[in-house]
Amino acid sequence: MTAKFQAQGDFVARASGMSAIPRAVVPHPVAGIGAAAMRALATDLVPVLVRRLREG
Amino acid sequence: MNTGRGELLTARDADDALERLHALGCTDGLPVVVPTPEKVARMVLASGLDADLELGEVGPAGGVATVEKVAVAAVMAGCLPDHMPVVVAVMRAVCQPAFDLGELQATTHCIAPLIIVNGPARTRCGGFASGFGVMGPGHRANASVGRTLRLAMINLGGARPGESDMALHGSPAKFTFCIAEDEESSPFPPLHTTFGAEADDSAVTVIGVEGPHSTIFTGDVDDPASPGALLDTLAAVIANRGSNNVYLGGRAAVVVVLNPDHAEVFRRAGIDRRTVQRELAARAVMPRTLLARSSAKLLFGDEDLVPAVRDPANLHVLVAGGPGLYSMVMPSWGAGPHGNVAVHQRIELDQFCELPVR
Repeated sequence: MTAKFQAQGDFVARASGMSAIPRAVVPHPVAGIGAAAMRALATDLVPVLVRRLREG
Repeated sequence: MNTGRGELLTARDADDALERLHALGCTDGLPVVVPTPEKVARMVLASGLDADLELGEVGPAGGVATVEKVAVAAVMAGCLPDHMPVVVAVMRAVCQPAFDLGELQATTHCIAPLIIVNGPARTRCGGFASGFGVMGPGHRANASVGRTLRLAMINLGGARPGESDMALHGSPAKFTFCIAEDEESSPFPPLHTTFGAEADDSAVTVIGVEGPHSTIFTGDVDDPASPGALLDTLAAVIANRGSNNVYLGGRAAVVVVLNPDHAEVFRRAGIDRRTVQRELAARAVMPRTLLARSSAKLLFGDEDLVPAVRDPANLHVLVAGGPGLYSMVMPSWGAGPHGNVAVHQRIELDQFCELPVR
């Protein structure tokens, strides 16, 4: 989720009974930032997500 | 306050109670009627239902809407006991899975539930307005029942701005949005008959929509092109470069509230509701090339002319308001698992208990 929506992410996690579920927070916005910025964000973020998913 | 019986709060006095409710985030920002046990019990009694009866779950928090908890919201909103049959029907309606209440609450769009009341309940349940100012202040039943739903969405659904209700700007329609159809002025059968109800049944239709978009039109009895011009005018408000409906696949319900004079334009021309729906759906289109200059990434399909409403049955046309130059169009969000469609619920009048006047 982006930083501006972190509160909502936390709410949904609580409401779903998964308060401790790991979540990734990225700077806002992501939509409309252009291909280069999107690529840079993905380059940084995807390895982190994959590593966390593998670690469980 | 999500499961089981509601917590009983205490306060020094009514003023303190109100401030506590504000501080707890239980209000819509406006003062509420403090829901004392006596007031809530009276409201439950009027419903004719058990206090613990579950009407549904209110997303996104999933709070259980028992009759008692809904009665609390009704007291807070300023309802009379007479309003309870409509309140119960509204809560049952929005808790139907097809309404996607959780998603509707959470979206960044300004969508708000519009409640439309049909049938004898309009007069038997406290007097719902359908004429002048039908969408505005001054009508207790309209204002209170709509507000009851919002307070239930806040307190049972957990929807709070910027935390779980992510509407970027919100909308005045999110405070309260409840109207009755002016069935007597309409050339069409009552709206609820389009969903299979009988005209003398009572029912609510609830649809997630934007606030009303005013649509001006001056008809001319001597001009045979008037009906077509009115259709084109309404269609232009439904489909435009800023409208969710054209971008998000044309699945969603849209509401058109004709004032009695505009309805008369169609009546004179012998145009029935189905024809209005069909013609509006056909005319409410936008060139893809134009839409692509605004939000190309949101576009679905590949037609050159993109429809705002693919299924004419999703254009809900009714009559309400005072006579004159303006009708109202309510476009919608267009998203959600079920596509932002209308839901309907019968109003059960037989269970209602008339309470002695105090």
